[in-house]
Amino acid sequence: MSDHVIGFEHVSVRFARHTALRDVSVRLEQRRIAVIGSNGSGKSTFARTLNGLIVASEGEIRVHGIDPAREPKQVRQRVGFIFSNPDTQIIMPTVAEDVAFSLRRRGLPRAEIRDRVTAALNDFGLAAEADSPVHELSSGQKQLLALCAVLIGEPGLVVADEPTAYLDAANSRRIAGFLLDRMPQQLVLITHDLRLAARCDIALRFEGGRLSDQGEPGPVIARYEEDQEQP
Amino acid sequence: MISLYRPGTSLLHRMPAGPKLVVVAGLATAISLLPANPLLLAAVLVAVAGCYLLAGTGIAEAGRQLWRLRWVLLVVSLSQVFFLPVLAVAANVIRVGAVVLVANLITLTTRTDRLIDALERALRPLRKLGVNSDRVALMLSMTITTIPVIAGFAARIREAQRARGVTVSPFAAVVPLLVMALKHADDLADALVARGAD
Ligand SMILES: Nc1ncnc2c1ncn2[C@@H]1O[C@H](COP(=O)(O)OP(=O)(O)O)[C@@H](O)[C@H]1O
Ligand SMILES: [Mg+2]
Repeated sequence: MSDHVIGFEHVSVRFARHTALRDVSVRLEQRRIAVIGSNGSGKSTFARTLNGLIVASEGEIRVHGIDPAREPKQVRQRVGFIFSNPDTQIIMPTVAEDVAFSLRRRGLPRAEIRDRVTAALNDFGLAAEADSPVHELSSGQKQLLALCAVLIGEPGLVVADEPTAYLDAANSRRIAGFLLDRMPQQLVLITHDLRLAARCDIALRFEGGRLSDQGEPGPVIARYEEDQEQP
Repeated sequence: MISLYRPGTSLLHRMPAGPKLVVVAGLATAISLLPANPLLLAAVLVAVAGCYLLAGTGIAEAGRQLWRLRWVLLVVSLSQVFFLPVLAVAANVIRVGAVVLVANLITLTTRTDRLIDALERALRPLRKLGVNSDRVALMLSMTITTIPVIAGFAARIREAQRARGVTVSPFAAVVPLLVMALKHADDLADALVARGAD
C-alpha cells in the first residue's frame, strides 16, 4: 500500500528500428491520469511499461514502489490492465470462470473464490450471466467483464489502453463512469475521447515518443486540438 | 458442442464429472459395439431418451441435436445404403446418433470448468512424464473460449467478400483468417501475461 506514485526517469524504449519512447521523465501522484496524442506517438508503449509488458531500454521506472523490470510478478498483481479489444483479454469460456481466473494462484479456498466472484459479478451487473459463455455477451458486457476481472484482483493501479474504442456511446459512458468516478484505484487512461481526458486530474500528451505536454487537462487538450487543426 | 451447458439439479448434473465421463465413455463403447438387432436398437433409443429425461432437458433437446446432426446421419446412410442391407444401415445410423447424443449429455449437464478440472485430475499421473496438467487444462479452456472468436472472424471475412462482390471461395478466406487468428493469439498472449498467468 506504500505510495501511489508513478515515477519515470529518463526512460527510453527502443524497438529494432524504432524508438517508441524518448527520454521520458515524469512523476505522477494524481488519481486520474489521462494520456493523449496522435496514433503511433507512444501512448501504448508508455502504458505497457507500467506493468512490465514492455521493458525500458534505458532509464528507471517505479510503479507504487515496484520496478517492473525487476519484479514483473509483483507489478502485475499491483497493476490491472484493460485492453481496447475485450475479446483478446477474456481467457476462460464462461463469465464466472474468467473472473475467478484472476484469483487463481492466490491460495484462496474454493468457497471464498466463489463468494468473491459472485459479489463482484453483482457489482458489475453481470450476475445473471455468471454461467453464460463469454461469446454470448455484448461488447459492452465483455468490457465490463474485463474490468470486473481486473478489479477483483484488487490492484492499486488500473491502466486502460483505449478501453472504449470498441464500444458504442452508451457502453463507453458506462465503462468511463466506472473508471473515472466509481473506482477508487489510481487510473492511467489512454484515450482519443478528449471529453474523457477532460474529466481526469492531469493529462499527458505524447508526440513522436516524447512527453510533449502535461498539466491541467483543459489547457493540454486545447493545445492538442489547436495543433491538430494546423496542417 | 460449445456452450451446450444447461444449468440444472438433476441426478446427472449432480454426478461428479470424472465418474460421469467414465460412465458415458462405457455407454458409448457399448452402443457402438451393439449387434444390429431391431429390439436392441429400439431399446437403445428408449434408453437415450430416458437419459435425456433424467438430465431434465426433455426429449425435445435430443430431437434438436439429432436435427443438427442431420447431414452427418445422411452421409452415413447414403455412403452405406448401396452396399449394406437396410437393417445394417439403420443400425449404423442409430449407433452414430445415439453415441453423439450420449456424449452430448456430458456437455449438457457439466460445466466446462468441472469438465476441465476432471481432465486435469485424470492427467495428473502423467506429470512424471513431463505433462503439466495445469497447462493442458488452461490450454483447453482457452481453446473453448477462442473457437467462437475465430468463427466470428470467418463470418466477418465472408461478409467483407460478399460486400465487395467477390465470389465467396473458402480458399480466398484462409489467408485473412490465418492473419486474424495469429494477431488474436498474439494479443491473447499479452493478456495472459498481464493477467498474471505463468
Ligand atoms: N513491438 C513493437 N515492435 C516494433 N515497433 C513497435 C512495437 N510496438 C510499437 N511500435 C512502434 O512504436 C511506435 C509507438 O507505438 P504505440 O506506443 O503503440 O503508439 P500509440 O499507442 O500512441 O498509437 C509506433 O511507431 C509503433 O509502430
Ligand atoms: Mg495505442
